[in-house]
Amino acid sequence: MRTDWTAVWGVVAKDLRAVVRSKSVVIPMLAVPVLLMVFLPGAIGLAARAAPGVQVERLLGDVPGDLARPILDLPVEEQLIVLVNGYLLAPLFLIVPLMVSAVLAADAFAGEKERKTLESLLHSSIRDRDLFLAKFLSAFLPALAVSWFGFLAFVVVANGVAWPVMGRIFVPTRLWGVMILWVAPAVATLGLAVMVRVSARTHTAQEANQLGGAVILPLIFLAVGQSTGLLLVTLPIAVGIGAVIWAVALLLLRGGVKRFTRDALVAQV
Amino acid sequence: MHDGIVTDGLTRLFPGGVGLADLSLEVASGEVLALLGPNGAGKTTTVRLLNGVLRPDRGHARVLGLDPATHGDELRRRTGVLTEHAGLDDRLTARENLHYAARIRGITGPAVEARIGELLDRFGMGERADQPVRGASTGQRKRLGLARSLLHDPEVLFLDEPTSGLDPTATRDVVELIGSLATEHGRTIVLATHFLGEAGRLADRMAVLDRGELVAYGRPADLADDLWDGLEAEVDLGARATTEQLDVVAAVAGVHTVEPSPAGAVLRVAGRDVLPHVVARLVGAGAPVYAAVPRPPTLEDVYFEIEARRAASAGLPPAPDPRGVPT
Ligand SMILES: Nc1ncnc2c1ncn2[C@@H]1O[C@H](COP(=O)(O)OP(=O)(O)O)[C@@H](O)[C@H]1O
Ligand SMILES: [Mg+2]
Repeated sequence: MRTDWTAVWGVVAKDLRAVVRSKSVVIPMLAVPVLLMVFLPGAIGLAARAAPGVQVERLLGDVPGDLARPILDLPVEEQLIVLVNGYLLAPLFLIVPLMVSAVLAADAFAGEKERKTLESLLHSSIRDRDLFLAKFLSAFLPALAVSWFGFLAFVVVANGVAWPVMGRIFVPTRLWGVMILWVAPAVATLGLAVMVRVSARTHTAQEANQLGGAVILPLIFLAVGQSTGLLLVTLPIAVGIGAVIWAVALLLLRGGVKRFTRDALVAQV
Repeated sequence: MHDGIVTDGLTRLFPGGVGLADLSLEVASGEVLALLGPNGAGKTTTVRLLNGVLRPDRGHARVLGLDPATHGDELRRRTGVLTEHAGLDDRLTARENLHYAARIRGITGPAVEARIGELLDRFGMGERADQPVRGASTGQRKRLGLARSLLHDPEVLFLDEPTSGLDPTATRDVVELIGSLATEHGRTIVLATHFLGEAGRLADRMAVLDRGELVAYGRPADLADDLWDGLEAEVDLGARATTEQLDVVAAVAGVHTVEPSPAGAVLRVAGRDVLPHVVARLVGAGAPVYAAVPRPPTLEDVYFEIEARRAASAGLPPAPDPRGVPT
């Protein structure tokens, strides 16, 4: 059965157009990335400029020597900037794709019920599979776009503000590359998959967000806790974490697709 | 091949109980079927089953020769539906809502714009075509929903409560629009409603549902024939009929019953041709006869008579099950 791309893009275009018009969805969705990707790296850069030579060594005391080495080998005034903007922000950054995809997925799936538009959509000619694909893309593509544009902004701000200290372009690092290209899409898919499952049980996007948050937040704490335990996420760890997230997300998503039939959906209306 | 609607024992159960039980009916292509019944009767469930959105637990259906349970995607390309909540996106304009629906149906290209504009005008939405649907009245939403259901010129139209929530003027407008849709090139229409007036004006056949069961089905006139002997008629005498006048009428051959009414008398006669005799006798007796007209029962009369008889029989032991299942 071939995908009806006209219908799929029709739904995606409608979802995006409608979301862009909902200030209550757009503003928090952009505020968090701006905070994480612009303000935080900017502030760190400024702080490093104002107080060069902050003792990073103490922070890295618990980290095995060979992990801390790349940082401790740097000139002392560069250490804080590289530590925060090159390493610590990378796992935190994953909140962006996770949040954007979860919020948009809640709007795309539970929102159709809330707005009472689901039934007429099910009476239209779009196939179950194509509708699922469209709804997936409605959340996934913007999540990736916001993450990537946010990352671009981050690269510009981090390098720009730190220029007087660093005198060179120091991000993206390879770790960031893995985060952006491998882990971020995985996390976006995970947020989406959780919301697809949650949306089947709720009637409004807000309920879905609350229930979804209850599922996703512990995952975030677990991830953040794990990575700060290591303090520095190294390249192989990032690749491994990405693989695990992909596996969980795809498993959840597969179950979601199976349950995504007209009969099941209309019974929830 | 039958290109209207046929169902045979169509049944759908829900965890909470019966959605639709054992529905068997047949609607010819180009006819209007009124699905009647109180809230929870199973009207929406029937529409969903017929359009392949719900799957039956038992029985089957054919719409346009297709089985909705197995060929739903194909069928839905040829049907249009106005759902009870028109299902428009408030954040989009009227025109954008139609564009969206058109794209889902694969209607693209330069002709779409014209088609949408034409439908918006026809349904009285031309002036607020480019405003968000958010501020639209219920009547405007229903009209826009109707316009959307017609984008692809469907062969079968399902209308679920098209006039619920409308004021009298909006109701009249929507009923007139539906009437015009019914007469357009043999389109089959299923009209689910609990408002009988509109159904009476539009329906060729009626199906009365109650708690998922089909309690009556047929043409209103045929159902009326089964319910009552003869024909009701009203004689206008300018005032309530006197006892003498009632006696005069009662004596005419073919008059079954006669009762006074504020304007004269209401009688039940064997047929139309009894009326001239009634008029002649009354005039002969010196009564002023302003009018004598047959009053064929409306769909509303039929519906309430069915309901009344069901209520009356509910106190009695249940009728034997027509399928002969021992109880
Ligand atoms: N998705 C559903 N889940 C559970 N019960 C349902 C569902 N849809 C309908 N029903 C039940 O089926 C019966 C018929 O409902 P419906 O077809 O909506 O009636 P109507 O449209 O005539 O008001 C009702 O008792 C209703 O509660
Ligand atoms: Mg209903």
